[in-house]
Amino acid sequence: MPLDTSTYALAHLRLDGRRWNELRRIHGQISTQAAADGSAYFEQGNTKILCTVTGPQEPKRGGGSSRDQSNEAKVEVEMNVAAFSGMDRKKRARGDKRVQEMQYTIASAFQSTIFTHLYPHSTITLNLHVLSQDGSLLACALNAATLALIDAGVPMSDYVSACTVASAPSSDQTLDEADPLLDLNGLEEQELPFLTVGTSGEAGKVLVLLMETRVQVARLEAMVSVGLDGCRQIRGILDGVVREHGRKALESRVS
Amino acid sequence: MAPYTGIPLSPAELQYLHTSLSQDPPIRPDGRSPTQFRPLVAETDILPSTNGSARICFPDGTEAMVGVKAEVEKTRGGGQNVKGEVDGKTGEDEEMGDDSNRSARSGRDWGEWVEIGIEIPGMRDDDALPIFLSAMLTEALLADTGLKDTLWINSRFHWRLYIDILLLSQPLSYPLPLLSLTTHLALLSTRLPSLISERDEDPLFNDDWEASTPLYPRSKADGSSAQKPPITLLVMSVGGMIYFDPSADELAVADAVVALSVTSTSTTDADALPLKLVALRTIDPPSRLTAGGVSNVLNTTSTTGTASTGTTSTGGVLAIRENDQGQSVWRPPRGGVKRAVVGRMIKAVVEKGGVGMEVMAGLAGVET
Repeated sequence: MPLDTSTYALAHLRLDGRRWNELRRIHGQISTQAAADGSAYFEQGNTKILCTVTGPQEPKRGGGSSRDQSNEAKVEVEMNVAAFSGMDRKKRARGDKRVQEMQYTIASAFQSTIFTHLYPHSTITLNLHVLSQDGSLLACALNAATLALIDAGVPMSDYVSACTVASAPSSDQTLDEADPLLDLNGLEEQELPFLTVGTSGEAGKVLVLLMETRVQVARLEAMVSVGLDGCRQIRGILDGVVREHGRKALESRVS
Repeated sequence: MAPYTGIPLSPAELQYLHTSLSQDPPIRPDGRSPTQFRPLVAETDILPSTNGSARICFPDGTEAMVGVKAEVEKTRGGGQNVKGEVDGKTGEDEEMGDDSNRSARSGRDWGEWVEIGIEIPGMRDDDALPIFLSAMLTEALLADTGLKDTLWINSRFHWRLYIDILLLSQPLSYPLPLLSLTTHLALLSTRLPSLISERDEDPLFNDDWEASTPLYPRSKADGSSAQKPPITLLVMSVGGMIYFDPSADELAVADAVVALSVTSTSTTDADALPLKLVALRTIDPPSRLTAGGVSNVLNTTSTTGTASTGTTSTGGVLAIRENDQGQSVWRPPRGGVKRAVVGRMIKAVVEKGGVGMEVMAGLAGVET
């Protein structure tokens, strides 16, 4: 168990054999669904999320003209956690507060990144389907949404990449024992205090920083800096997925 | 049952499609034969946390994913047999115990052992379409009483199957056949852990997943053909011709649309039909929502001399429309479907070498 401090301190290996700064197996695919404007499938370890983008289009819920006061597009996020995604089968209620909060976080992150002034009075809808969850749900959702928006051709200022960081348990309170752990799985998320950080751009401008557990404030700086580095790595992976897809598309045209 | 709206075809296009589909031999817009299905992409065992899973993509872009999970549940009314034996009561009590054991085995309420949930993006859980689809799929699944025996563990416990269906794309065409085929495939790939405990004690299962038993075994011990989960196919008719796997264009001109649910019969008799019909439901065709065309006679905007001489009374207009009977312009279909046509539809699906067997054989080929 992660809380069994002795095993971590011995070899500094986590339960799945990773070191403190290693990401899980990450895999991404673009354009998985022909019927959607943009779609992507993203896996971080066993957390698998499928994202489809519809838009920019006219707002369907016919709000009258009084609604569209801002001259900007509106980003709407709908997250659907499948009942078979966890270990136990659990059907979410419609207005699940945790899901609603995640939807709002994702929507506001992209509202600031997408060039919304190019599409006034329109709506961009993101549909996230969580197929399997094993930690880092919000981070994986942000990454999947980035890929899907790029596939849809929605102009953004940069990739939005996200990851989770935890503070390793330490027997005494000294700072040098407390390694920040990168990219948590489900078991580690339940046991350790962790935060989700989402950044945009190579410089690492922070868009999302979410922490629901408590940690000593002295450890926070190390966690955030490790998180920023992790986001940079993930940004490289996202970029690689997009370039690979582009290369394949070009090759099929030319030959 | 609310049909689909938003058909972007003009009356002339609808008439064109209808005419080409009612010819003999028929001409389908994409050149398929009446029983030919469009190619699809299917894969199984994609979700590691489920007992069985499948994903199917249709060529029009619609995509569905199904995950099956099983949980052990206490049987209501079960367990009395155990008490009777422990107390060592008289024959009467033991007989009562036997009765409840029999009723638990007979699983009077076994319909509750299967739960189907459907998620369609953009629709709530209590919208008409998800409820209707889930009722149809459940009905077809429960028609197979052999499934109850597979889910029964002992008199006190049984398996509860949760089948969760996700429609991943927007519902561009009627999603029933897609969801049904994906469910079929997911159930084929579902495995249950093998039982170690005996008789009525608390169930204990083998931790080794390799030892797990499939929910629908490939072949039975006595060599008879294995039971397969049901499939629901959408069949449409135009005039006297029937068509399988109708595309959205073809549905827009259908005279009648029928959903047929079939399941395999476990019989070794070579002459008997390999499939049996478990449900047949008519679906309101979207062609009923189309607008009729305006015939030449009634076209008051035309400036030629053939325009009518002013019979603008509603009775006159109605009479002209009725006499026309959809010959010169498109008219939304009326009435039901002939019994002979329905009979031919059923026969085409359940007969040996028919469409039903073809689809099931195709899906069985996916499962490795």
